[in-house]
Order: sequence, then C-alpha cells, then structure tokens
Amino acid sequence: MPKRKVAALEKVEADLVSLQYKIRRDPRSYAQEFYDQWLAYDAQRQIFVSSPATASSEDVKKFHDLVDLVAHVANLYPEITAPFPDHLKELLNQHHAVLDKELREKIVGSLVLLKRKDVIDSTSLLTTLFPILINTPSKTLRSLLYTKIISDLREANNKTTNHKLNRTIQTVLHNLVTSDRTSTKGMWACRITRELWRRQVWNDARPVDVMKEACLSDNEKVVVGGVRFFLGGDKEREEALEDDASDDDVDLKKVKHQGTINKKTKKRSKQYEKAIEKIKKQEKKKHAPHPLNFSALHLIHDPQGFAEKLFQKHLQNTKNKFSLENKLLVLQLVTRLVGLHKLTIISLYSWFVKYLSPKQANVTSFLASLAQATHNLVPPDVIEPLIVKIANEFVSEASAVEVCAAGINSIREVAMRQPLCMNETLLQDLVMYQKSKDKGVVMAAKGLQSLYREVYPELLQKKFRGKQATMGLRSGEIKLRRFGEEEEGGIEGLELLARYKEEQKKKKAAEEAEEDENGEKKAKKDDDEEDDGFNSDEWEIGSTDSESSGGWIDVSSDEEDDGPAKKKARKTKGGDDDDGDEAPDLVEKEDPAAEAERITKLATTTILTPADLAKLQELRREAKLDKMLGTTQSKRKKELIEKHIEDGVTAEDIELPAMLGKKSTKEERVALARDGKPGREEHKSTQAIRKSKKEAEGKSTTNKEKARKKNFLMTIGKARAKNKRSLVETKKALTNHIAKSKQGGRRRNGV
Amino acid sequence: MCISAKSDTQRREAVAYITNQISSTPPNNPVGTSGVLSKLLPLLSDASTSVRAQLLKLFRALPPSEVGAHVEKILMYIRGGMTHLSPDIRTDTLAVLDWLLDVAGDEVVSCSGGWLKTINSFSSMLGWNPSVGSAMTSKGWTTASKATLGTKKGPEAQARQIQALARFLEVGFKPEAPIPVQSAAYWDSIYRLPTTPNPFAYLNLFGIPRDEENEMYLDRGSRQRVFDARWRATIATGMEGARKEGGTVGRAAAALGRALNGGFDGPESGSEN
Repeated sequence: MPKRKVAALEKVEADLVSLQYKIRRDPRSYAQEFYDQWLAYDAQRQIFVSSPATASSEDVKKFHDLVDLVAHVANLYPEITAPFPDHLKELLNQHHAVLDKELREKIVGSLVLLKRKDVIDSTSLLTTLFPILINTPSKTLRSLLYTKIISDLREANNKTTNHKLNRTIQTVLHNLVTSDRTSTKGMWACRITRELWRRQVWNDARPVDVMKEACLSDNEKVVVGGVRFFLGGDKEREEALEDDASDDDVDLKKVKHQGTINKKTKKRSKQYEKAIEKIKKQEKKKHAPHPLNFSALHLIHDPQGFAEKLFQKHLQNTKNKFSLENKLLVLQLVTRLVGLHKLTIISLYSWFVKYLSPKQANVTSFLASLAQATHNLVPPDVIEPLIVKIANEFVSEASAVEVCAAGINSIREVAMRQPLCMNETLLQDLVMYQKSKDKGVVMAAKGLQSLYREVYPELLQKKFRGKQATMGLRSGEIKLRRFGEEEEGGIEGLELLARYKEEQKKKKAAEEAEEDENGEKKAKKDDDEEDDGFNSDEWEIGSTDSESSGGWIDVSSDEEDDGPAKKKARKTKGGDDDDGDEAPDLVEKEDPAAEAERITKLATTTILTPADLAKLQELRREAKLDKMLGTTQSKRKKELIEKHIEDGVTAEDIELPAMLGKKSTKEERVALARDGKPGREEHKSTQAIRKSKKEAEGKSTTNKEKARKKNFLMTIGKARAKNKRSLVETKKALTNHIAKSKQGGRRRNGV
Repeated sequence: MCISAKSDTQRREAVAYITNQISSTPPNNPVGTSGVLSKLLPLLSDASTSVRAQLLKLFRALPPSEVGAHVEKILMYIRGGMTHLSPDIRTDTLAVLDWLLDVAGDEVVSCSGGWLKTINSFSSMLGWNPSVGSAMTSKGWTTASKATLGTKKGPEAQARQIQALARFLEVGFKPEAPIPVQSAAYWDSIYRLPTTPNPFAYLNLFGIPRDEENEMYLDRGSRQRVFDARWRATIATGMEGARKEGGTVGRAAAALGRALNGGFDGPESGSEN
C-alpha cells in the first residue's frame, strides 16, 4: 500500500495557534475541540503542580502553549473556563519563585489578558499581582509586574476615575507602609504612588497620605522615597504634563507638503487624516479648562502633627543614623512644611544652632532650610540668636568672601520673612559691609539694606535710609508691622470697582438730568429702553464693556443734529456741576479708615454680579499695568511676587551672591560656548561631522554623493558612448542642454 | 543519544537502548522505575510515531510490580495524551492505557482522579459530551455541531476508543474478590509498617482538598454510584448511537454494553436492568 499523503489541512490542525484562530472565528463549532484542549490543559496542569520545580522543559512548554490558548479564548467559553483565573492565580501565588521564567511571564500576561477581556476585574488582578511584586526575589518579574500594575491602573482610570479600585489599591499601599515600618517593602508603595501621581492618575489626598506614612517609616530608603515625593513630585507632574503637550506635536505643513511630493496612496491619505485628527484633539485640549491640581504639600492632613513627628523621629532623635544627605532632605521637607503652613515648632530653631558653622558640610542647605522655616508667626526672640550666630560665624573681615556673602544673604532671607528678628547694632554692622571690596559681599549687604528700607527703616542709620524711606517715615506711610499682625484681607481691587461704579452713577445721573431738559416724550421712550437695558447690563459680562458707549448712542439717536463729541464734553461738565461735587470732597476730606470702611461696604451690602467681577478683573489688570509702567513698585514686593513662596529656598539661592562679580575662568567659558554643539574629538570639517552623524543615524547619503562615489568602471561605458555619438545626437544633446539651462537647470532654479 | 534530541531517529534509538538495558537479564536500571518514568512520560505525546511505539515497548518491559506506585502520574500524562490535538497520539495513548490496565488495573480505577477524570477524557474523545453542550446552549438554540477532530479518522479509531472505554469500565466494575481471612491481619494493620507507598492517601491528610473529580473511589460500590449519577445516561446514549452504526463500531459498542451491564449486577444497582 502506498504511503498515505497527509493533507495540508490535517497537518495544520495539529498546532494550537491555528486552532485558536479557528475557535475565535467560530466558537460554537469548535466547542468540542476546545473542551479537549481544556482537558489537556487540566491534565498538564496537574502534572505541573505535582512537581513544579522539577517539571521537564517539554512539559513546561506544553503547559505554556495550552495556557496561552485557553487565555485567548476564555471569554468565549465562560462556563468551561470558569476556574481558569483561579488556577493561574494559585500557580503564581504558590510557585512564583520556582516557575520557569517564560511560563511565569506567560501566566502574568494571561492574567492581564483575561482582565482586558473582562473575564476578571482590575481589583482581583491587582490584588493578585501586588503581593507577588513585593515578595518575589526575581528582578525581571518585579519589573514586569510593576509595569503591568501601573498600566492597568492607568487604563482603569482612563475614561473616568475608578474611585472604587483606587481606594482599594490605596488602602493596600497604605497598609503595606504602615504594617511593617522597618522593611523596605514600603518602597513599592512609594514607587507606585509616585508614578501614578506623576501621571495624574491619582491626585487627591489619599495617595498623599500613603506618602506621609512612608515618610514616617523607620527604613531610610522608604523615608527618602516619601520625602523626595513631597519635595519633587509636583514639579515632576508639571514637567510630565508639559512633555505630553510637546512631544506629540504634528507638523501639519510638513505632512501636507509630503502629500504633494510623494505618491498618493491610501496609507498616506490615512496618515494625513490622522495628523488632522490629532491637531484637532490638541486644539480641544488647549481650550479645555486647566486641571485644578493641588500640590501634595497642600493636601497633607494635619501638617503640624506630621512636621513635628518627622522632626522628632528623623532629626531630633540622636540615635538616628541617616546619612547627612538624607537628613538634609528630611530637613528640607520639615522646613518647607513649616514655612508653607506657618507651623510652630519651637525646638526646630534651637536644633539649627549646632549646624550653623562654616565648617559644616552642606551648610548652605542648612541656611536655606532655616530661611524656609521662618515665617511671620515665628517669635523673633527665637530666631535672633540664630541670626547673631550666623553673623558671628560667617560674617567677618577674616572669613572668605563666599562665606561672608552667603552669611549676609541667608540673614537677608530670614529677615525678609520675619523682619523683627534683627537688632539695631547688628544690622548697622552688617550694612557696613557694602564698603567691602568683594562684589558679592557688597551686593548681599545692599540687599539687606534695601530690605530694611522697606520694612523697618528705623533700624537703619539715617544716612542709609534713603530718600523714599525717610519720606515714608515722615508721612507715616511706612509702618512697622508688629509681631502677629496680619495684612487686612479684602477683595483685591475692590476700591477700583467702587470708584468706577461711582463714576458710572454720576454719568447716568447727568444723562437723566439732560433728558429732563429735553422734553418728556423722548425721555419716556428712553426710560423704557433703559429699563429694559438696565437689568441685562447689570448681569451680562459682555455688555459691561460697551455700557458707557451704548448709553450715549441712544442719546445721540434722539438728537441727531448734535455731534457726539460735543455732547460728551457737555455731559461730563454737567455731571461735575450737578452731583459730583459731593463725592470727590468726601474722598479727600475723610480719613483713610473711613474710606476703607466705605469700600468694604460695597462688598457687604451689594451682591457682586458676574459682570461686576469681570469688570473688577479688568480694572485690576489695568492697575497692575500702570504700576509696572510707572515703576513705583518696590523691588522687594516684586521679588516676593515673582518668587513663589511654595518653591522654597534652595542652597543655590544662598550661594548666588557670592558668584556675582566672579570672573569665569577660560575653561568655563569654553565649556559654555561648546555647550550644545556637536562633539569634535579631532579636527574635522563641519560637513564631515554632519555626514558621520547621518551615517550613525542609519540615514542614506544624497544622490549627488552617491553619484560621486559610483564606481569608475560603471560610469566608463557612458563616458565612452559619449565619444561615439553621431552628429545629430550631439546636436540634440546640446539643444536640450540650452533649453534646460534657460529653464534654470534641472532644478528649475530660475522659476 | 538523548531522549530530548531533535531528530526522531535519535530519540527512538535512545528509547530502544533503554528498553534493551531494562529487559536484559539481570535488568540494568540504575535510576529505578520512577526515574525512567519521570524522564520518559513526556514522550507520550511525542510527535513521531516510531518513538511512541518504541516507548510502549519500553513500558511493557518495565517490572509490573513497580509501576503501581506511579499510576497517578502516568494517568495524568495519559489523560493529556487522550485529548491531544493529533488523532495519532490519541490512539497510541490508548495502547499505553491498555498496558497500564493490564499491569495495575486496580490502582488505575481507584487512584485520585483516576476514575471520573479518565471517563471525562473518554467522553470528550468520543464526543459524548454533556458539558460542552451545556456550555454552548447559552449562546443559541441550535445544538452544538458534532466534534470533527476526534472522530474524523473513521470508524477504526472510534471503535478502538470504545473498546478501550469498555475495558476501562470492565476493570472498574470488576467484582472484588473477597479478601481471605487471615488471623494475623488484625495485628498487622496495627503494628506492621505498611508495604505500599502512601497507604493513607485516601485520607488526603496533607494535600489540597479534592473535589468530586479528583476524589479517590476505592471500591466498586462507590465507583458504580458516582458513575451512575454522572455518566451512565450520557454513555448509554452514546453507546446506543454507536451500536446503530454497526460494523466495527457497533461491535465495540456491544462490548461496551456488556461491560456496562456487567457493572450493574452488583448489590447496589441490582434494581436496575
């Protein structure tokens, strides 16, 4: 009997991939086949479970393939495969340490696949993966699980925030951090929370609470992870947001241009459509309201307790063996909290004393932290000894100029936040350093002087006070703010609105008076119109801008013979004459206290309509612009405005003035000039560098370059043929050449 | 030579060599039966027919008394092979099952998962499958189509499968010979060390809890009871259909019918038939 030929179909059927394909296309007809494979999977699983560590590679391979098949079609046969997710979880939980690497990855991947097919939900997936992430000794598995967990959480929060899932996971993380404070396992909670915070998946108080607990851990690594989150997490988030906005920029012009040059294919037209879609999306995003993100530091619950605990546990505790670097990080967080929330930790300031000497490593960071920890509610007598110590240790003729400048500058930073901490003799002594030879010291001392000119000129000697401060002192404009005194709160620019309203009222009264003169008929008509207009004008934002002009166009339509300019002049004059005589007098005569009261009355007695608020904003903007142009604003205030208090003080701020007036060395200048230019190891032409760069990127050369490099023997035939041309051919070539050159050459340069 | 070699002939040669070593007198087997089995069982679903044939020869050469302890493990591989994608492997696996029934029939039907799970595999193989139908009915009103892969090879394969099932049931329903009374048995069970491995397996003291399918069915009565409850109707229906086909399949089905009837003359199911 001849050998039976195996049909192609039969052969193919022996592999699981094609079976999977068939099952997917027609799950009903292949149910029996699937059930067979399910049984095979079950048998193979039992073989595997009976000795997972010693399973032969063939068994593992077979099991791997079967798991793959079942996972891919599990959603089609929910009844048969009901126990499948549990099998996988069990396998992973019990044997993750001994499983074959590929099989392990396959099981993790299958679980994620099942989640994507909605066979299991996110919570059960994450609660399975998370304990393994923490416990497994394998680095590859950890990184795999980490990425899977993050991507799953992101996906779950993609369309709408999945509060339930987030809460579950956050609770798990919280428990992880708090259950065993000495272990490094909390690191994972830190990493996951930080990543999700960066991606803005989590932005409420609960993840912040997790990080807060991490900061209070006993393990140095976990503490540093938590502290770094508070110090840099928000900045990271902002940067990520900017990156998102910038990295998928599409150059529509370029795509369009390419469309005109390249062959028109379906693929290209699709690409073009996609680009347009993307740009539309970006436009939408631009117009979308900015997400209101609170910084992590603001979301902390009970900052006072947190800061106190941090300070006591990691800084004050002498048994603590953290490295100096990490201690500084914790200190930065503590002082930042103190400055931001205006907390009171009295023992913090006395703790600083022993670190304030020029020999201390990283002393500028300590100085910056001290400045950060100061705010207007810190008792001045607590800070005064520190200021004196800094002055004694840092600021002297004998010390190095950098040290001196840093000392004066840090004193200035502290004094800016609490001016009362200074005494007269010390200040006068420090101010005298503006006679120093070093520019950095001079600038620092001048900075201190100008600060005190603003806030407390009495402390300065008369000759250092300056003109404005002296005048201000005399007129009582500059007044020392006492300890604990706060600036009166109010609505910024409210007085501007009040003034504006008054003017409007005057204008209206003037108009009415005029209309009374003009005959009743027209006045009545106008009144009606005005009544209608009045309500809408008060409420609608858009109408306020045109209110004044709209008002008097009506009038001009009434009396066509009069020119508008004339009318305006008359009207304002009339207004001044009729009612305005009282109001300006009031403003000038009454004392400022009464004036302030009158203004706040506006806020308390009337309801500010949206139109009012819009006007208020406009007026505020105008006033700001005037001030900027007038340059009457003080330097210190400007500085305070520009420098957001939330950013805190860094060591660079303290070191900065010492850099002033320093001439940079030649090497530094050369390095600065070279920055951002292509590397040049040997002497090479720019073109050569460019070419090698192109080559390194795997890009091709130009056609010209190719032609130049072409093998001589390949071109010789053409050259020879040229000699053998007939006269007619030569003529044709020459005429063509002339015609082409008239058109501007091959590239059509003339056109 | 290596049993995990890429080429078919090398694998076959390797298995043949081991067979020779085992069947020589005195047998040369330094790793013991369990070592041989754990290495060679994965070859049950080997792609090459000749390797599988040689493997069966090797199994036949193994000392029967030593196989009994490994029945559970062998059965796992057999079940995996019975539902393999390739029909040839399915058929060859049945030959191995036949050998195992010869060598350690009692253990096969009474070990954990040996009874119900194996019948499950048989039914899936033959396409007499209630669970698939129920899984599919939720999707529509028509019945599931008949299996294509398992029965495509024609009547010979199906007849072979039915025969194997008949044999399996026969062993399962075989009336146990009464244990002769021994005066020492009482004291032996108290003081003597048991001679079989894991003698208290049925108590399942340390394993994971078993479900119905994985349970051990130690005596004929319990086997009959669970078969009655779960499989009898299905298998009877399938058997009727096969009997009507006639030919070799019909003959095999008749044998199966005898096995079924033989199983029901016991004390517990005496009321039926």
